[in-house]
Amino acid sequence: MPINYKTGIINEHKNVRNHSGIFDVSHMGQILIENNESYLHRLEKYIPLQLKKLIKNRSHYSFLLNNDGGVIDDLIISNIDIKDKSYLYIVYNASRKKEDEEIFMSCAPNAEIIYTKNCLFAIQGPDSIKVLKNIIDIPDNMNFFDILISKYNNNEIIISRSGYTGEDGFELSIPNEIAENLITHLLKNENTMLCGLGSRDSLRLEAGLSLYGHELNEKITPIEAGLSWALDKERLEDENLNGNKVLTDQLKNKLSNKKIGLISTSKSMLRDGMTLFDNNNNEIGKITSGCFSPNLNKSIAIGYIISEFNTDNPIFCEIRKKLELVKINNLPFVKKNYKKNGSVYE
Amino acid sequence: MSEKKYTKDHEWVSIENEIATIGISNHAQESLGDIVFIELPSVGNSVKAKDEICVVESVKAASDIYAPIDGEIIEVNNNLENDAAIINQDAENEGWIFKMKISDSNQYSELMSEDEYKQFLEQ
Repeated sequence: MPINYKTGIINEHKNVRNHSGIFDVSHMGQILIENNESYLHRLEKYIPLQLKKLIKNRSHYSFLLNNDGGVIDDLIISNIDIKDKSYLYIVYNASRKKEDEEIFMSCAPNAEIIYTKNCLFAIQGPDSIKVLKNIIDIPDNMNFFDILISKYNNNEIIISRSGYTGEDGFELSIPNEIAENLITHLLKNENTMLCGLGSRDSLRLEAGLSLYGHELNEKITPIEAGLSWALDKERLEDENLNGNKVLTDQLKNKLSNKKIGLISTSKSMLRDGMTLFDNNNNEIGKITSGCFSPNLNKSIAIGYIISEFNTDNPIFCEIRKKLELVKINNLPFVKKNYKKNGSVYE
Repeated sequence: MSEKKYTKDHEWVSIENEIATIGISNHAQESLGDIVFIELPSVGNSVKAKDEICVVESVKAASDIYAPIDGEIIEVNNNLENDAAIINQDAENEGWIFKMKISDSNQYSELMSEDEYKQFLEQ
């Protein structure tokens, strides 16, 4: 996946917000795990959901957790039937394939990695439904985070109403043999276009969504990352869940760091790794992701600061050895636009 | 105006009456992608060749601009302050960044010609 195609990041970004855009995310991990009680039980050591109770044809945002409750990876886990057999279908980060697959295989030795035979594409933006419906059957009552099997030219594809841009959209797991045909077919619609990693990043940042390796890593728990809504509270009581004590404790007590959104007050760009200071020059945190926001026409960022910092006080960011004032902004920066129950990410 | 010359850092320089006009090459503009902000140099500053003197920020990354030759900054392109994307549209004309009064024209002669720069890009 390139950083951008011919018309550039900003144009691709705006096309997704106003119409639709197509991302080739085939680099991501995809695996099918048989819906078998002993596999699920082993997976529940790492995944903070009640896997036996996952609703058919629904997806969930979740994690693989280490012993300290830190995030090994964040992922989307769905319960679907393929050829009359029930599976967990998991989509995970490309950069974490090795770590994740070691866990999946130890829990379910016959798990089937499918990214070698299925491409993964995301079509995102308010017009996605129109563009997709022209060529594939999509039921009208399909909501955000619903998932189903549909057909294109008699080939089965997995379709979920999801994505990582804050817009309505779909992710399509397509057999390699028909992927090019299907995408070329979609691109016949002149209001859609291929989009690259650059706009994928600025879109997810505007939507306030966390990215592995930036807001999330093995030393940060979902609670510290502001994602406690994604944890099943009953599972936190379960000693079989990695880090359950740490997480329960964090929910009760004050955290040492908090995640914040920031907007630049000048034209300077906020970027990953920059340091944040209070007005007495004390370091109070760091930026974990920063970019130019085409919607706000300013630089925006997500970062972590120490919890005791009173956010009524000014915050400065060190940009090329100068301290520049930045403003706190509630996440997300741009309102999410999901179909119906958009509470999935909140 | 003299022949346009290029540096290895992808700046272009043209000279008229000992005044050099400097910008970034079209190739540099293309690889930076959408330019959203430029921190212009300060007028009056004396600089040496290779000094970092200003920064171009694109959506992808921040990129330093170096002085191609010794001299004094005498003018900056204030239009870029409101619309840095002019560099994307016309990097080697309207997208000029600053002008310098140069002190050593030999330094200019040593820069690459357009053909040499093209070869340099192909390497």
